[in-house]
This record gives sequence, structure tokens and C-alpha cells, in this order.
Amino acid sequence: MRVTDDRGVEILLDAPAARIVPLYGAFGEILADLGREEAVAARTAADDFPPAIASKPSIGTHLRPNAELILGLSPDLVVQLGGRPEALEAVRFLEERGLTVAVFDLENFGQLFSVMERLGVLTGSGERAAERTAAMRAELAAIGAAPAGPQPRIFFEARYPNLLAAGQGSMVAEIMAAAGGRNCVEAPDKLVRLGEEEVLRLAPDIYLMQQGPMNPSPVPLAERPLFRTLPCLGTGQVFTVDQALFSRPGPRSIEAVRQLSTIIANWKTEVRP
Amino acid sequence: MTGPRHTRAWLLLAAAVPLSVYAALFFGSYPLSAAAIHEALTAWLRGGPETQDLVIVRDIRLGRIILSFLTGSALAVSGGVFQGLLRNPLADPFTLGISSGAACGAALALGFGWALPGPSALPLAALAGAFAAMGMVLGLSRLAGDFSRESLVLGGIVVSTFLGALIALIKSLNEESVSAIVFWIMGSFQGRGFDHVGVMLPYLAVGGATVFLLARELDILALGTEQAAQVGVAVKRVRIALLVGAGMLTAAAVSVSGIIGFVGLVVPHLVRMLVGPDSRRLLLFSALGGGILLLWSDVLARTILTHGAELPVGVLTALFGGPFFCLIMARRRTA
Repeated sequence: MRVTDDRGVEILLDAPAARIVPLYGAFGEILADLGREEAVAARTAADDFPPAIASKPSIGTHLRPNAELILGLSPDLVVQLGGRPEALEAVRFLEERGLTVAVFDLENFGQLFSVMERLGVLTGSGERAAERTAAMRAELAAIGAAPAGPQPRIFFEARYPNLLAAGQGSMVAEIMAAAGGRNCVEAPDKLVRLGEEEVLRLAPDIYLMQQGPMNPSPVPLAERPLFRTLPCLGTGQVFTVDQALFSRPGPRSIEAVRQLSTIIANWKTEVRP
Repeated sequence: MTGPRHTRAWLLLAAAVPLSVYAALFFGSYPLSAAAIHEALTAWLRGGPETQDLVIVRDIRLGRIILSFLTGSALAVSGGVFQGLLRNPLADPFTLGISSGAACGAALALGFGWALPGPSALPLAALAGAFAAMGMVLGLSRLAGDFSRESLVLGGIVVSTFLGALIALIKSLNEESVSAIVFWIMGSFQGRGFDHVGVMLPYLAVGGATVFLLARELDILALGTEQAAQVGVAVKRVRIALLVGAGMLTAAAVSVSGIIGFVGLVVPHLVRMLVGPDSRRLLLFSALGGGILLLWSDVLARTILTHGAELPVGVLTALFGGPFFCLIMARRRTA
């Protein structure tokens, strides 16, 4: 089994990985999606999907995995998310102790499919990975083939107060594009701190606020005095969505696209000018 | 500096306040012409319809401008009081651990997602933390028996260190909330407005009145405890009242803005160099100067980046304030 991870490191296994420690929840979801749930040897503290994952031992958090616990599990493969230097500290430590660690970037659908295919190779489920990515590509294409019309401008609230919005570099922007809309926040970053005035300037057609660990109790837009003149409030185009679906790049991102495409279809028929 | 020069400086600063408030209304990411701003202001004064322009000019820009001015004033005045009271030129509003208390209150609310309703929930949690910290410092100092400068500063260090560890523990237990807590601690007026002015105003009024009424006693205390007692100052009571008054100002400021450093350290220093050590003048000029400084710092923080992104104003004041303070110290040394 041989693949190249996103650091450019060649990952070589003699046999399909049978004891895998995913250090980011999405990798556990991908492995379950590939039918290799039994190969997942542990989870990070916040992971609860699919439900069977919850019974696996926890090895700490994504950014601060407990190396002692991981070594104790004797995995034949550890998978870590790229991008953050602090996350790679743990990778160096584990590699120095002889473990095989693959690092994958996961920020858009292209990378998601590529990671699924490479994990498919490493776990001996390449065929299943090919089927699943083909099905997901087909579903994205079907949603994208919906009747053309104006693209709604969408705002995604990652957190409030101290408003944090999804920028163009986020998975959410990909989900919006795949669902037939577009992110109205122009900043290239994944997450952007914005003032209320900027939201009013952007005047989104649809306002999404995520609910999850980052934004545990979103304040309803109608209860925020500074947002009361937003047109999307008047048209009822404000929706609370699940953080796990929208902000975590994984197989469930397709479900996020499906949900958003329904919202957009309703906007096109009921609200669009 | 002579009397008329003080008057001129006072008039200049007093005039700069409304001018700054007015000029700052023109800065923001939403494109508004001068005519639109004036129209919105007129509509507001005449009770006209609530347009989006009116919401932006009045509730977002003006609310934030007033809040940043009041916060800057509170920090600068409390800095002046702490420097006089502790007879330490490096004392600032955060010396007594009040900022750590506010940060701890906010961290608890953010870290555990306490869903208190309304925009005032977080400031109130921070305010409670600030007062708790102040109570702890005063309690520790009382244990030492005297509310002396040394016991207060030592109490401040102990409480700050303890609460700093508590904040680290909260962050450590809630990885998802780390960025929210860190951003709050960096200090910002993002999303703040008149609601927050309402939260801080009672504490500003009581704290401000207390320190301004006791400004003369603050000067006398600077002569020494025994001398102050000889001229009839109730040293212990006055000291506690000044501490609580200045603490209220700091707590109110930090609760709405997060931690904004250097305003309370640098402004009283500069003002002292300009108008001398008289506390009444010092506190008055500090209030105006601190307010104007923070108001314009916030304008910069919300307009300096592209795509409507904002910088935490506390980072800006620290970036500019740090080197500036070093420069002042170096120049004083050579002088």
C-alpha cells in the first residue's frame, strides 16, 4: 500500500491498515464511510459520529493528542489534518517513535475525494472509495445541474458574539458554490472577524448561523438590534445549521450541500426578486 | 504651565471631543456619503423612519464611538488614580488584577457557553469577574492589615497569577472556545454599542464621581500617610474609596471592551508631563485624552484591513503604545 500524503511524504504499508488512529474527526467519518469503522482504534475527545465511534477510546484533542495513549494503542497508521503547525508537532513526535503518520489537507471537495481515495488504498478499500467518491461526485453534479437562476449571496456565521464569518478559503464556501449560491464574504481566509456594519453592507440574501461547539447558543438574528434592518431577516431567510455538517469537511459535507440547495431552491421560488 | 495655558489646553481638548465624534462618523466599511450621514442624523433628531443608514450611523458607528471614548476615558482616569495612589509611575488600571478578573469572568461565560440572554450577558459576566478580583485583592491587603501600597501590589500580582492560571485551565478544557476567549482578551469594540454603554454607565458615574471628588485628597496622600493624616485626611477610608472608584472605572471599561493596554499607562504619563501633577487637572485631561486616543484607535482597528475585516483594538494600542512608552522613558532619562 503506497500513497503520498499532502506533505509530499510517501506512506508505505505492508498490509492494509487495521489499527488506525484518526487525529481529526473527519478522518474517522471517512473511514466509517469506507466501511472500515472496525479499523478505527481511537477517536478524539469531541468525536461522536458515527455513533459507534463514541465507544472507542479517546486520545485527547485534535491539536493536543496524547502521544502516550496513541503509542499504547500500537496503531499501524495515524492520520492527522495538515495546515496547522501545532498539529504537526504531534506528528513529528509520533514519527520519531516509529509510527506511520499520514498528513492530509481537507479544505475542499477535491481534497476530500483525494483523501478518501488515498485512505481507501491504505485500508485496502480502494474499490469502495472509488464507488463512494463517484456517487458523491454524481450527487454534486446533479445538484449543480438544478435549473439556473440568480445565485443567492450567502453569509455564514461561524460564531457570535465576536462575529466570525466563513471566508472564501473555507469548506463552507465550497458547499455554498456546490449548492448553487456564493459566499458574500470576499476575504480569502477560512475565517474572518467582521463588524456588524460589514454584514449590513454585504446584505446577504441568506444568513446561515452554525450551531455546535464553536457557536453553542446562536442568538436569533431578530434579537440582535444592530441586524434588524437586514433584508434576509424580513424575508425569513435566516437558518440555523449543524456545525458538524457545514464546517467539518467529510462525507457529510454532501448532506450540507443537499440542505443548502433546498434552502436555495425555496429562496428562488419564494423570495428572489 | 501657567493658568491661561491650562485653560487653552482644556478648551482645545474639550473642542476635540465633539470634533472627533463627528469626524469618526465618516469612517466605516459601509459606503455612506456625507449627505447620507447628515440625513440619517437629521432623521434621528426629528424622529424620522428607521432606515438602514440610520441604524449604521446611530447604532453602530455612534454607539461604538461613544463606547470607545468612555472606555478610553475610564482607563486613563483609573491609570492616573492608581499611579498616584500607589506612587508608582508604572501602575496601570490592570495592576490590581482587575483585568484578569474580567477576563476570567468572560472566559467562564465563553468557555462553558453560559447562555445568558441579551447582548449584556458577556459584559456582566466580565464585570462580575472584575469585581470579584478587586474584592480578592482588597481582602488580601486587609489580611496584611493596612491597605498599604506594597500589600495592594502584591495582592494584585497573586490574584492576577491565580486567575491567569484559571483562564488557562478554562481554555485547556474547552479547545473550541479558545479563539473566542483569546479574541475577547485582545480587546475589541466589535459588535459593541449603546447596550454596552448602558452596562458601563452606572459604574462610570459612581467610580468617576468618587475619584474626581477625592482628587484633592489624592494629592495630599502623595505627601505621605502621616502628613495626610495630620491635615485631617481619613487615610484608610480615602484610600479604599479611591481604590474602589478607580477599580469600578477599570472594571466597567474592561467588561465591555476586553483588555486594552497602555491607554491607562501612557495617557496619565503624557498628561502629567503637560499639565503637572495636580490630580484634578491630571484626571480631567486624562479623561479627555484617553477617550480621544481610544476612539481613533478603534477607527483605525475597524478600517485598516480590507474586506471589512477588523483588528482587535487592544493589539493596536499595545503595538503603538509599547514603543511610544519606551521613547518617553528614554527621553525622560536623558532629560
